[in-house]
Amino acid sequence: MTEHRKPGTWGRVRGRLGFGLSGAASENAWLGRWLVLPALVFTGVLVVYPIIVGLSTSVHEATPTLGTPSPFVGLENYREVLQQPSVGDSTVQTIFYVLTALVLEIGLGLAIAVLLHRTFRGRGIVLAILILPWALPSVVSGVLWRRIFDPDTGLLNSVLVQTGIIDQPHVWLADQGWATLFITLVHVWGVLPLVTLVFIAGLQAIPDEVYSASAVDGASPWRQFRHITFPLLRPSLLVALVVGTVNSINIFDEIYVLNGTALNTRSILMEVYTTTFANGEFAEGIALAFMVALATALLAAFYGLVLRRRTV
Amino acid sequence: MRPSRPALTLRAIGIALLVAWSLGPVLVGVMTSLETQKEAQQVPARWVPSDPNTEYYAALLGGEQTSGRSSDAASDASEFPRAFVNTVLLTVASTVVVLLIAVLAGYGFSRLRFTGSRPLFWLVLATMIIPVFTLVVALYRLLAEFDLIDSFLGLVLVFVATTSPLAIWLFYNYTRELPPEPEESALIDGCTRFQAFRKVVLPQMTSGIAALTAIVMLAVWGQFLIPLLLSSSVETKPVTVVITEFIGKYTTNYPLLTAAGILAMIPPAIVALVLNRHIRGMLSAGG
Repeated sequence: MTEHRKPGTWGRVRGRLGFGLSGAASENAWLGRWLVLPALVFTGVLVVYPIIVGLSTSVHEATPTLGTPSPFVGLENYREVLQQPSVGDSTVQTIFYVLTALVLEIGLGLAIAVLLHRTFRGRGIVLAILILPWALPSVVSGVLWRRIFDPDTGLLNSVLVQTGIIDQPHVWLADQGWATLFITLVHVWGVLPLVTLVFIAGLQAIPDEVYSASAVDGASPWRQFRHITFPLLRPSLLVALVVGTVNSINIFDEIYVLNGTALNTRSILMEVYTTTFANGEFAEGIALAFMVALATALLAAFYGLVLRRRTV
Repeated sequence: MRPSRPALTLRAIGIALLVAWSLGPVLVGVMTSLETQKEAQQVPARWVPSDPNTEYYAALLGGEQTSGRSSDAASDASEFPRAFVNTVLLTVASTVVVLLIAVLAGYGFSRLRFTGSRPLFWLVLATMIIPVFTLVVALYRLLAEFDLIDSFLGLVLVFVATTSPLAIWLFYNYTRELPPEPEESALIDGCTRFQAFRKVVLPQMTSGIAALTAIVMLAVWGQFLIPLLLSSSVETKPVTVVITEFIGKYTTNYPLLTAAGILAMIPPAIVALVLNRHIRGMLSAGG
């Protein structure tokens, strides 16, 4: 995020006009408050208030009925939910999803951005095709890829058996490693366009002169990428990391469509889902949801710190 | 510097791979949707239907009871038309509300200064870091108290709550990049601030508003987890939830499933293709 401070529009107008300041300034303030009011009302009622109520629920004993006062139990619900073995398993599984997704998204995103950031004939069409998977509902992505990965009638098994790479159809999603990779692949299919767009914008912000100067100095393309492009791309890298992490921590739809709520591929959100709604442990579910939120915020802050320090 | 010949060939291969990766699964889906279920179950699999037919599209659009045709009940298309209408209504209603909030707030926060405008802006932005699911779990009990579970109003409110922080952020960035001169001259010409906003700034914002409309529409159209939790009846279930009900426990009717998927992706695909230039502009500026 670049916070470059421009002088306010009003400051400039005021400088030119030189009179009638107080009336117009208060008119601006009045209009400003009215314009942001809907946003504040919605945020307050639908985000801030529910979060406060939720936090309160998470530190009180779970009650079966609404509205009855229940004793304060501190972090008891948090402790309890962390003791479930499936929470640990789904946390580890989610870490695998996040790491796999980030490696694929950063690697492929950079490669595609290098491929597409300069103008060429037909670039507009290629870019339109590029963003298509991002625009599709993730449920639909899951459906399309399920057709490919299906163990009995899927296209992947069919090709592999016909070419003799495997002897008999393989149940990919029952195998931990393959399931993680394939589910992440479907997820990456939808998020990669966004990450690529971030990198394209980053590459376009680097002036050409930097490259021509270093070419004169005899730098190879790889050295140029390592010592010029990559350092200058740090702000884009930060955005890409945050976007990739937030999206993959929240992975749910693709798993649900490809493998249901099966234990071997369950993500942390699925664990929240089953705890809260299938098992009815509302206070524990919401405690877990808050821990996921905290982890997300800490990760985003961590990226910010690491990348900022390296830039200076 | 002119790219060398091998570099050009490499780029052509790269672009071909990219197009195959982006369109391949969609093409597979279209092909499957035109097969019969028998054909889709063949081993080795058929990639191209021998005799393309649109029976599943007709069944889905006509809301036919297709369960008789296959071995399990997970292929009843009768809820599909209603679900499609639900998705359209939910998307339109939520998009209108989010757009109104985000355009006014984006302009208000970026161009007007008033007491508390900075802290309030950061408060709104801070809500972006809260994962959607955390918010939904927190909202669930409140919605239940107001009897808003399984209702259009409840769903629209949740969609608005989850999409508007991002929308405000995107539009705030967009407004900051707009040239301020037209508004300044309108003010010098004696317009009030609101007149300048309505007559000069709003017309300046058409591309941004188009982009924001598209981004919010796409986000709401694809929502799955929220309605999975909040809508249980035919009256509110969107198309994403109904599609997942076509996935059978033991066997899946892939032509029906993929036909439903293709129908559900047509509106977002059109929006993304038609407005792709605007969308790209807004998404890559939001950094």
